[in-house]
Amino acid sequence: MTTDNLTSTDILKTAEALRWQIGRDFHDRLMEDIYTDAARLADRAVTRPDEKPRFDLDRTIDRIVTSRTWGFPLMILLFTIVFWITIVGANYPSQFLSSILIDKGVPFLHGIANAIGLPTWLSGFVINGMYLATAWVVSVMLPPMAIFFPLFTLLEDFGYLPRVAFNLDNIFHKSGAHGKQALSMMMGFGCNAAGVVATRVIDSPRERLIAIITNNFALCNGRWPTQILIATVFIGGLVPAYLAGIISALAVVGIAMLGVVLSFVVSWSLSRTVLRGEVSTFSLELPPYRPPQVLRTIYTSLIDRTIYVLWRAIVFALPAGAAIWLIANITIGGTSLAEYLVNFLNPLGILIGLNGVILLAYVVAIPANEIVIPTVLMLTVLMTGVNAGAGAGVMFNAQSTSDYMSLFTAGGWTLLTAVNLMLFSLIHNPCSTTIYTIYKETGDKKWTAVAALLPLAMGFIVTFFVAQIWRLFAG
Amino acid sequence: MPDPLMALSVAAGLLALTAVFLWPERGIWARWQHTRHINERVQSEDALKHIYKCEMKGRRPTLESIAGVIHANLDNTAELLSDMESNKLVSILDGEIHLTPAGREAALHIIRAHRLWERYLAEETGFEEAEWHGRAERLEHALTPAQVDELANQLGNPAYDPHGDPIPTATGQLVSHGGQPLTKLPLDTPGRIVHLEDEPAIVYAQLVAEGLYPDMPVRIIEISDERVRFWANGDEHLLAPMLAANISVVAEPVTAQEIEEPLSPDNDTLNRLPIGQVAEVVGIANRCRGAERRRFMDLGILPGTQIRAEMRSPSGDPTAYIIRDALIALRQEQANMIHIRLPQPEGQR
Repeated sequence: MTTDNLTSTDILKTAEALRWQIGRDFHDRLMEDIYTDAARLADRAVTRPDEKPRFDLDRTIDRIVTSRTWGFPLMILLFTIVFWITIVGANYPSQFLSSILIDKGVPFLHGIANAIGLPTWLSGFVINGMYLATAWVVSVMLPPMAIFFPLFTLLEDFGYLPRVAFNLDNIFHKSGAHGKQALSMMMGFGCNAAGVVATRVIDSPRERLIAIITNNFALCNGRWPTQILIATVFIGGLVPAYLAGIISALAVVGIAMLGVVLSFVVSWSLSRTVLRGEVSTFSLELPPYRPPQVLRTIYTSLIDRTIYVLWRAIVFALPAGAAIWLIANITIGGTSLAEYLVNFLNPLGILIGLNGVILLAYVVAIPANEIVIPTVLMLTVLMTGVNAGAGAGVMFNAQSTSDYMSLFTAGGWTLLTAVNLMLFSLIHNPCSTTIYTIYKETGDKKWTAVAALLPLAMGFIVTFFVAQIWRLFAG
Repeated sequence: MPDPLMALSVAAGLLALTAVFLWPERGIWARWQHTRHINERVQSEDALKHIYKCEMKGRRPTLESIAGVIHANLDNTAELLSDMESNKLVSILDGEIHLTPAGREAALHIIRAHRLWERYLAEETGFEEAEWHGRAERLEHALTPAQVDELANQLGNPAYDPHGDPIPTATGQLVSHGGQPLTKLPLDTPGRIVHLEDEPAIVYAQLVAEGLYPDMPVRIIEISDERVRFWANGDEHLLAPMLAANISVVAEPVTAQEIEEPLSPDNDTLNRLPIGQVAEVVGIANRCRGAERRRFMDLGILPGTQIRAEMRSPSGDPTAYIIRDALIALRQEQANMIHIRLPQPEGQR
């Protein structure tokens, strides 16, 4: 056959016949050959120094941080230091911000509002509602994050964090996850929204989704204060005074550990059910160590993480503050909206060992976990009429442990309420900032819904069973 | 407040009910979804496929064999066949069932949809090998010819499914893999796997568990009525002849399309490389596909690349390797898919 009398059908026929002769997977072969050729060209063109330096600093560090003896103790030590610096260091700026923004700021703003003759309902709505909630979130959230994120970024910049993933990968592998989930989880202890963003380092789609969905089980900065407060007031009160500190600390650490265990369990079941069909690959680059660029690191971590998270939180806290003020101050027939809602939620709350006040606080505090306790206190005052602090309809924090205790007792709280509040604080839907971040990161409504509703359902189930078994035995 | 015991039992009951209803694969919802698809059309398509496969293998399809494939009793099957006959999909002459041209076309469409979907599952998803067939079995009935063509386009018009079965073209062309059962391969003759039979699923799962894959070189060491012992890809395998017959092989060399260095039994895999030693990559195993394979190539794991095992995680896995001056950690199961050769002493460059 010559080229002249070839028709298109002939060509197609020939192609069809040849197709079976070129062997299977020829696309792969072709790709492999192209890559191999490229590599060969590069090898010919690039010259490398012949002798490797006798002392290789990177390998020496690696041998220590990944050694069987020193790998894990070193890791625990480093992270303990990071958390310790964060907790101790954040205390002072937090108190400072709170005294400036809340103790001084609120009366100051009220003064201005009175001077220009704003109606009380408007100044209440803007100052006691929107401003107060935002100021609260900022003063609780900003200092720990401004310390934790730069420290974490320094470790990352130095090159240590990938080694942590390398050390821990086996445990995560067994639950169907990626070793780098250790890093996003650690970041989640600071802020779940930042933790979700941090899962970008995981390049395998399935493992990344697992890390995103389970990040909520890392007890975030906004929930630590709740845990510490409830543990101090209720758990610490169970034992003699000299043991109170250590026991309540252990209770909080126990909750955080439970979160880690849950994230493994949920990872395991997700990878075997709904996420089974997602593509999974693994590779972990251990980059060379670099001296950390301290100033640049602090700058970028402030911009990328702290400010980003803070801005989102403010955007969500403003309307939350408004909503909280509105439900507490709008009355229908002499009863506030909050009272109707609390009474409506009470049966469900009691059933799972909590109460209507706590459930309503969790509904309105979806934007930020930081304002759960102030909202709970405000609602308790509203419901019981106990006179404490700032008065009805305004969020506040009590002054001392005994103040808290008397308020909670007035609200009808028991040890069961405290335990279940700690559990529910760990296992419930992520805050709206995190949910929004999950949606941005996955670009998928389905996975966002799973990430939001799965922990919520788990929270209801866990608290329900704890409450019922508790009542069965404690009578 | 409800009685705790009462509440507990109600909740436990509800949870159990939810589990029974929603349990993946075996729950009521999943089963309902499954049976919803088994209607007359699906049955007739399955019957067509069966008759086609029988014709290809030179066997005669019977009423009983068709009834077995479509999970129906003989009366219903006979009724289905007479419907198919009136739709001109099959012709029944003297009790012999044959496909009409229209029936053959329909059967090829189903087979094409099935094999393309298996290919898709292998390349683009993370489902396990043993799941491919079952999922394709369900989806083959749902795809229209236009969707199948689009799928083929997206996958780059592959010629073979991951089990080594040829995928019929849109015009209905199909060649046989031309292999013979492994049990017929003469002793010590090098051969190559061209096909693994994916039905029944239990047998296929066993073959997959042995790590066998199309394109793998094999050589029989010993064969008797009780067992077949053979080399495949660096490992010795032992199978019952009944299982081994589900592996189709051709005697090497078959075509000119050989890779430069076929993966021979002398090769080792990267996971066996001791720490501190250097080896040269021979190739990536064929069962490593899709995203995973591309990732390896992106990392520069190509024939000829020098890899050095550097250190092992304190928890035992993964292991870090120096690949093209970068330190990359790979898990045991991944390193197992990279074939290496320890360099010869004089092979120093």
